[in-house]
Amino acid sequence: MVGGVCAGLASHLGWSVGRVRFIMVVAALVMGSGVLLYLWLWALTPLQEPADSEPVRRTVPTSALLLAAGGITAVIAVAISETGGNAYLPTVLAIAFTGSAVGFSLTLDRTDAARTGRYTIVVRVLSIVLLLGAGLLLLFSHGGRPDAITAVLAIGMLVLGLGVMVAPFVVRLWTDLMAERAGRVREEQRAEIAAHLHDSVLQTLALIQNRAGASSEVARLARAQERELRDWLFAGSAPTAADLVTELRDIAAAIELEYPARLDVVTVGESGLSSPALIAAAREAMLNAARHAGGDVSVYLESSASSVDVFVRDRGPGVDLDSLPIDRLGVRESIIGRMSRAGGAAIVRPGAGGVGTEVHLHLEALSE
Amino acid sequence: MTSVLIVDDHSIFRSGLKASLDDSIDVLGEAADVDSAVRQVASLAPDVVLLDVHLPGGDGGGGAEVITRSSTYLETTRFLALSVSDSAEDVVGVIRAGARGYITKGSSGDEVSRAVASVAGGDAVFSPRLAGFVLDAFGAVTGEQAVADDELDRLSAREREVMRLIARGFSYKEVAAELFISVKTVETHVSAVLRKLQMSSRHELTAWALERKLL
Repeated sequence: MVGGVCAGLASHLGWSVGRVRFIMVVAALVMGSGVLLYLWLWALTPLQEPADSEPVRRTVPTSALLLAAGGITAVIAVAISETGGNAYLPTVLAIAFTGSAVGFSLTLDRTDAARTGRYTIVVRVLSIVLLLGAGLLLLFSHGGRPDAITAVLAIGMLVLGLGVMVAPFVVRLWTDLMAERAGRVREEQRAEIAAHLHDSVLQTLALIQNRAGASSEVARLARAQERELRDWLFAGSAPTAADLVTELRDIAAAIELEYPARLDVVTVGESGLSSPALIAAAREAMLNAARHAGGDVSVYLESSASSVDVFVRDRGPGVDLDSLPIDRLGVRESIIGRMSRAGGAAIVRPGAGGVGTEVHLHLEALSE
Repeated sequence: MTSVLIVDDHSIFRSGLKASLDDSIDVLGEAADVDSAVRQVASLAPDVVLLDVHLPGGDGGGGAEVITRSSTYLETTRFLALSVSDSAEDVVGVIRAGARGYITKGSSGDEVSRAVASVAGGDAVFSPRLAGFVLDAFGAVTGEQAVADDELDRLSAREREVMRLIARGFSYKEVAAELFISVKTVETHVSAVLRKLQMSSRHELTAWALERKLL
């Protein structure tokens, strides 16, 4: 009812709430032990958040109450000390209350959804003001001559106040340091794994390709695995932006998975300009090369500020444009037609030495 | 018969490579780290050393260190770099140290054998990827061109053409046919480019070398 402790206890023990409350009240009558037990459970029981029902919350602002208690005892302490009396007990209580208020706001309130960040800051600032103010007042109470123990306690208060003031910074520095150290350890581990994989797995994959022949099934699988592993190992160093170079590489990788071909993509120059038509045409050319010729396919991309050239070269049986039936749209439409509509040009011709086919795509930069 | 020394720290890869090389190649020996590689180059005097770029031992310099420490034998022994990755970054260091070319470990046995033969014959072996890197590094795409043939920091127009064709996947023979020159001339151009790659003080190249503490 007050803090939801009885309800929590009841659900924990599987008893009815009324029964737990009854026991609590009876216990409270026996020298107040029920009250103490209640407070103890209330302050220290971890918050439980059932998935389907309303989360249990500490409805009472504990740290604010502790702070208020600290303030009252501090006033009492100062008043007693001013009259030259024995102020040890209220001073110690004030330190204890305020200290617990800060501790509470730093630890338990932080994870409590009902407490905002502002609330904890206010609690902390007020604690600092209270500790420093009370400490100074005590130190200069009774005409600047408090007795020795009060002076020691007052200095303790000041120190605690300063401690609370710097605590958040120290805590932040500490967590930053820990996070950085953890990050470094992770990075080291990753580098170690990368070095190990580079030395063992990549070598083996290379050997498999070496032994199995360029376009065999096994070599293709090995190559795909090698690429995946490499991407993972050196992730972060590769550019994430989808530019022409990465697009072509991705297309080549996808085609290699489906057809018995090895596409070697070489790129030169900064890929400043890119166009969907060029990419689509290049894709079609690479696909044709892989599908009809297979084996080794060379893809060369040269991009300069003024133009982009893509060469796709295979070593297959070659293609004769004129003898292609009209309804075969592949080359005529999706490569040549597409490029000319985009303001570029495409040339399909036999490869060097009359072996295979070479498709040359050319696109001038648009003058804007 | 070309005599070969295989330097690689993975015994599986060494034996696999050894088995896949063709009959014209005689494997004299194998080495697994920098120090034993240097020793064997001196004692066996092979025609060609197939050299892994990443090697343990020595001062941690890998394949490039083997070449620099064997520099007195560069006249008679040629180095062909092998790398598991085909990124030029890995390879520029060994090329600049004196290797005559590089191929990826994924290349087939025939490809490796051919590369060994041409390196043994004094030619340079350029993969399409390395040719692409050369074009990039020498600013050939942005239109930089050497005025004199002996200029080290830029490619001549002809060298640029040759590099572009190699990057497009042409063999030396196909390059020769395409440009109406002899294969020998193509080889001369490629060797000239290799020399530039090794000697040039172009910023892009020295940056690699500096990064890898090769200077």
